[in-house]
This record gives sequence, C-alpha cells and structure tokens, in this order.
Amino acid sequence: MNAQNLPTTIPEYLEQLRAALRGADPAMIQDALYDAEEYLRSELAEQAGKSEAEVIASVAGSYGAPEEVAEIYRDTEVTVNRALRAPPPPKRSSLLGKFFGVIVDPRTYGALFYMLLSLATGIVYFTVVTTGLSVSLSLLILIIGVPLLVLFLGLIRVLSLVEGRVVEVLLGERMPRRPLYTQRGKGWLERIKEMFTDGRTWTAMLYFLLMLPLGIAYFTVAVTGLTTALAFIAAPLAAWTGIANIRADVDGWMLIGETGNGIVTNVHAWELPFLFVGGILLLFVMLHVAKGIGKLHGLLAKHLLVRSPVV
Amino acid sequence: MNDPDIQLKKFQKELSAGTVSLALLAVLSKAEEPMYGYLIAKQLERVGEGVLSGKQSALYPVLRNLEGAALLDSFVEPSMSGPPRRYYRITEAGRNTLREWVSAWRATRDSVDSVLLGILE
Repeated sequence: MNAQNLPTTIPEYLEQLRAALRGADPAMIQDALYDAEEYLRSELAEQAGKSEAEVIASVAGSYGAPEEVAEIYRDTEVTVNRALRAPPPPKRSSLLGKFFGVIVDPRTYGALFYMLLSLATGIVYFTVVTTGLSVSLSLLILIIGVPLLVLFLGLIRVLSLVEGRVVEVLLGERMPRRPLYTQRGKGWLERIKEMFTDGRTWTAMLYFLLMLPLGIAYFTVAVTGLTTALAFIAAPLAAWTGIANIRADVDGWMLIGETGNGIVTNVHAWELPFLFVGGILLLFVMLHVAKGIGKLHGLLAKHLLVRSPVV
Repeated sequence: MNDPDIQLKKFQKELSAGTVSLALLAVLSKAEEPMYGYLIAKQLERVGEGVLSGKQSALYPVLRNLEGAALLDSFVEPSMSGPPRRYYRITEAGRNTLREWVSAWRATRDSVDSVLLGILE
C-alpha cells in the first residue's frame, strides 16, 4: 500500500517522518519527532525480546506509519489550535479601525511586556554566555575546561528552550516545546561532537549575546515612548481638571511636573488640545511599534534558536 | 478505496476532534499519578472503540494543546528506555472544564441517541 518501505530501525522511522513533514513548521517537526521517539522507545522497552523491525511493524498499526503520522500532525495542529486558542481579534477593514484596533489586541501587550522584560533577560543571557565561554575556553589548557565547555553548551540548549517558551507565550511565534532528542544509538562522544558541529548551538549563542543590546534598545524605546505619550495626555487633563496650573513663566520645557508650589505645566492653554490629540496618537503609534518589534523579534528568535532536527 | 470508506474516514475525523480531548482529560483525571504520552495511549487503546481507536500519534498534539490551554500541566523526567518523558497531570481548571464537557457530552449523546432510535442496525 505504501510507496515507501516500512522502516526497520527507529532512526529510519524518524528519518522517514522528517522527510514526510518536510516544509512544515520546524518547531512542529521537532515536536513530532520527539513524540514519535518517546512512543517507539517505550514500545520497544515494553516488548523486550522482539527485534526493532518487528516492534516498528506492530507500531505502524497503532501509532501510524511515518506518512500517516505526518498527515495527522499537519491536521491536528491546525484543528486543535483553532479550537483551543483564544480567538484572534476581529479583522477590521477600515484604516481607522486597523490603527486603533491595536489596543484590544492581546499580542500588543505581550510584545510590550516582552520589551520591558528583555532588559533583564538580556543581561542574564549575556552574562551567562560571556562568563561560560571565557571560563571554559581559558580552562581548556587544563583538562577541566573540556567538561566545562560541554556543560556550557548544554546550558545554551536549555536556555534556548526557555527563551523559546517566553517568545511563544508573549510574542505568539510557534517555538518547540520539547528538547530535541538526538539519536539514542549514537555514543555519548558522538553526541558531544554533534553539539559542536550543530550550527544552531552557535547561532543560539549569538542570539543570547545580541539580547543585551536588543534588550536595552527595546526597554528604552518602550519606556521613553510610553512615558512621553502618557505625559502628553496627562498635562492637558491635569490642566483642565485644575490639578495643574498653567504657568508659562517656568523655564525650559515642562509638560507636567512639581515645582515647589504645586503641579505646573508651562504649555499655553491654546496648545493643550493639540498636545492631547498628539499624545493619544503617539500612544497608538507606540502600541503599533511594540507589536511590530514583537513580530520581528519572534522571527529572529525562531531563526536563531530552532534547530533543524539532526536524526 | 471506495466512496463509503472515504465518507466514514471523514466522519470519524470530525467526530474525534473534540472527543479525543474529552477522553484525554478523563483518563488524566482518573489517574492517581502523572502519566506520560505512551501510557495514556496504551490506556486508551485498551478501552478504545470507534474514533478513540484511531492512530495514537494523534494524541500527542492534543495533549500539548490541552497543556497550552492550561487544562493540563506537565514536567519532564529522564527515562531508562528513551528520551526524557513528559508527564502530564490535570489542573484544577482542567477538572472544571472536564465537568462541563462531560455534561455537554452526555446531553449530546442522549439527544443523538434519541434521534437515532429506530434506525436499522
């Protein structure tokens, strides 16, 4: 029935599954391979005494042949996501609706929160990478540097999974939920070698280094943008409600602030409405900027952190 | 493959979309301790009839999505026989959802049964 022969070993099975899923979301492929390997290894352990080929032949009936599994993952991923995810915000057709609709989009706030959080995570990642790299590289002269370097590379993988979860939750970009499991049959020496030859280990490291400057930039943009917009909005409101006095004689630029004799703004009364409208517009522009940065950063993370499976 | 076969497959696929989630939640709510994917699949296989007897690979994405919706939570533990296993257990939100799903399921089943009453077997 199948054009392809039924595989006889687990690596072959996974290889066929990967081939059948070619072109699908890499994060989904990684999950599918991980699930299949868990099932096959458990089945193999359960039916001790049978050969790998026999077990796989029996599994093709219960778990599915690679092509069937691939089809199921493509299907289920779509239907279940549709059923369980929060509904996407209604599509607004008008230009005005698109511009102001950003305020009810949950992803905007996820992205905004990510921008604020990225300063902290960026510092942590950068410190871990620079410390780990310099300590283990400099200790390479002594034998202790080798296990340290291997441990450090392992840590990078764990961190990229953690960052992947953060990115998926806050930015909505699909990331792997399972650690990629490299082939059991290979010896540990070979698996360690794979850590070095796998390009994603190094791009993940690059990502973590980049997170410091990016985190600082995101944080600064988010904080300055929001405070400017909110000050623009607050000054006219405070003046109109009588909380703040309009005092043009205050030196320099003071949108709103405390001078020692009450809260004061030095914006002229006729300028206040413009300031108010400008503040509202600026706030919405900021929300759009946050959403856009979130989208771009999600793509960057996916590109640098998701490994193409080595089976 | 003839036409009725395709129709049956399509019908089963549509039926299974919701019922699999229900069955998984039920299995995990009855489980005394957290279970991993393979165990859950085997448990369903023992009782599985109709759409629940479908390919077991379909269970894993559903488990993951139930976790995404906070109805399950999970942790990873190393295993002797293969990759580290992800163990699932039901959350409080999962139990509440299950209760609602069960009554929705019972109501649906009863009304479908009463509509089907008298149809030739």
